[in-house]
Amino acid sequence: MLAQMKFHSYTVAAYLAFNFKRKRIETMIKKFLLLVVLLAVSLSATAGAAVGTLVLDGSTTVGPLAKTFAAYFTKKYGVRVTVSESGSGNGAKSLINGSCTIATMSRAMKAAEIAAARQKGVNPVASVVALDGLAMVVHPANPVRSLTKAQISSIYRGSITNWREVGGPNARIVVIQRESNSGTEESFKELVIGKGVAIIGSAETQSSNGSVKSRVSTTLSAIGFLGHGFVDGSVKVIAVNGILPTVTTVKNGTYPVSRPLYFYTNGQPSGVVKQFVDLPKSPEGKRMITELGFINR
Amino acid sequence: MNIGTRKILDRSFTAVGIGSIVVMAVALMIVVVPIITNGIGAVFFTGTVEHRKMLFSEFKRGDSENLSSEVASSERYRAKVYGMLTGFEAELETMAPEKKAEYKTKYSEVRTALQALLGPLPGDQEPMLTRFKYGQTRWEKAEEKLHDLLYESKWDNSNPEVMAKEYFVSRAIGFEGTSLVKLFPYVKDNLDKMLLPEFTVYWGFITDSSVDSHFFGGIWPEIQGTFFLAIGAMLFAFPLGVVAAVYFTEYAKPGFLNSMLRSANSTLAGVPSIVFGMFGLAFFINTLKVSESKSVIAGALTLAIMILPTIIRAAEEAILAVPKTYREASLSLGSTKWNTIATVILPAALPGILTGGVISLGRAAGETAPIIFTAAVSVGSAIGLADVLSSPTPALSWNIYNLASEHEAAAQIRHVQYGMVLALVSIVLMLNLSAIVLRARISKKLKG
Repeated sequence: MLAQMKFHSYTVAAYLAFNFKRKRIETMIKKFLLLVVLLAVSLSATAGAAVGTLVLDGSTTVGPLAKTFAAYFTKKYGVRVTVSESGSGNGAKSLINGSCTIATMSRAMKAAEIAAARQKGVNPVASVVALDGLAMVVHPANPVRSLTKAQISSIYRGSITNWREVGGPNARIVVIQRESNSGTEESFKELVIGKGVAIIGSAETQSSNGSVKSRVSTTLSAIGFLGHGFVDGSVKVIAVNGILPTVTTVKNGTYPVSRPLYFYTNGQPSGVVKQFVDLPKSPEGKRMITELGFINR
Repeated sequence: MNIGTRKILDRSFTAVGIGSIVVMAVALMIVVVPIITNGIGAVFFTGTVEHRKMLFSEFKRGDSENLSSEVASSERYRAKVYGMLTGFEAELETMAPEKKAEYKTKYSEVRTALQALLGPLPGDQEPMLTRFKYGQTRWEKAEEKLHDLLYESKWDNSNPEVMAKEYFVSRAIGFEGTSLVKLFPYVKDNLDKMLLPEFTVYWGFITDSSVDSHFFGGIWPEIQGTFFLAIGAMLFAFPLGVVAAVYFTEYAKPGFLNSMLRSANSTLAGVPSIVFGMFGLAFFINTLKVSESKSVIAGALTLAIMILPTIIRAAEEAILAVPKTYREASLSLGSTKWNTIATVILPAALPGILTGGVISLGRAAGETAPIIFTAAVSVGSAIGLADVLSSPTPALSWNIYNLASEHEAAAQIRHVQYGMVLALVSIVLMLNLSAIVLRARISKKLKG
């Protein structure tokens, strides 16, 4: 009993002492909150307000163009532009949901997407940014220089599985494709193997042009396809039907695997949006397109 | 069991324990050492005169007198290169047509390699893209480009049965007998005089915005975006989490509903973060329409939901750890239940609650998946506090992924990517350290 009483009085004393300390803790918390507020204020002070915002979402192929145009546009007109690269399919979805101003796409919108857009009261209007030759790329060590469209189609459908069958060394072909969300994948299917034909199940899927490039440049027996602007010395471009993708062959349509790149807007663009969409037609825009390795229309 | 076997078991257990700690330490070293060494290279590196030119014209930084004297001294050496180029171009005109065509392709390759090394050559049109306006800004990259200028990469196809092998041919041999042959040894010997490398500390990497999609400049918008998202998530998740924990520990009566809620909370803690990302897109942006497009607020809310279970669990544990006697003392003095919670239990549980909170803050800063669809963009300027309700933002975690895979010139700007990784790791480490310090200080004060 006595022990219990002692214990109780000890707790009360501890509590009182503790209550006394509490004030000090409160001041500490106040200091901490002050620090957070100060940090937030200093963060916000560093950035000025912009006039308005354009939100671009979509294709990774159009990404370099969109990013360059965005930087140029912000510098020239003071309009903030943000660019996300999440794939053409996502760009279309964002436009339909009204969560982006411009959808960047490396394929035309599908009928189903247009119907979905109409249902939500969105009227997608396309404008062509540039042309792009879909480059078929292999590792630089691969001696194969040219393939016909039929051969490429056979490789992707799985009926040709060894480089020997197309005049190369004895090595199993590592087929690389893009994800289903990709406009590049859709264009490739449409232009090379035909709609509705399935690509071989063992094909590897990469989620962007950049990762296709790095996969091909590190895999001796790989084949993949890239937007023309992504090609560099780490991969070798092979000719399709004997024709290499160059400015001339893409522009005059002799290169068989080329396609336009689009900006999609909701309704006819006006104001700032129109200014941005018209950028590729300006002389500066055309030079940016050329320097990035894309082809002017 | 006899004593000998027990001893052996005991020792082998100790050995396994030490072994696993060593393996962990080695793994950590393998991960952390390259992050630090490569990441530091983004700030401390051997910069060339091109870097100083870039800083001056893009960020108005540096001493203009000093710079112009440097440029003048580098131009003296460059002038000779330009002279050789014009000399060779004149020589080309005098050649037989076939020979001319042959040299012309080779010459254009040399020109491209020189442009990459030194920037635009005289007679070139001023490029639109900033990345082409300057030569190599970093000395180690300049050395790589010098190799590209001196040697041509060729592939040996002699055996059609196997893949070709790479070999290098000196470009100088290709120009044997022409005036251009002197260019190669000249550039090789005088590159340091043309680029004037010196040790550079570029703090701007942390405080500048990027120029031409991360080719030059820094990562400030990403750092700022990361802070906004993490702190925003905390502002929502922390109060909610603490209130929920108080409910679970103090008010909820054990029963079916309560155990359902608890297991829902535990399940939520195990949901993959990409699911939260998709949920955030579907719920906050498409259904609630908290903002027109992706935005900081949508991202912060999504992250908040992701870290909520962790905060609730940490706060619950902390509250349960408060000795029962505190509560009894308070109640025996006539205090109400709510008063007891607010003035006795929560302050006593504060160290534990804060630790859980700050660790979640670190997790919110590092997560990529929840912000892909709700907040992150690959290029955007730094945003002000007023824009968090409407604007998306670049953020470290997402931009590291973007630079690693999607960027069109990922291989050329690895240093930026490593710099971002180091910045993110440091931010998370700093947050965790501050949690430890805060906890230690508060517990010390509580003990008196």
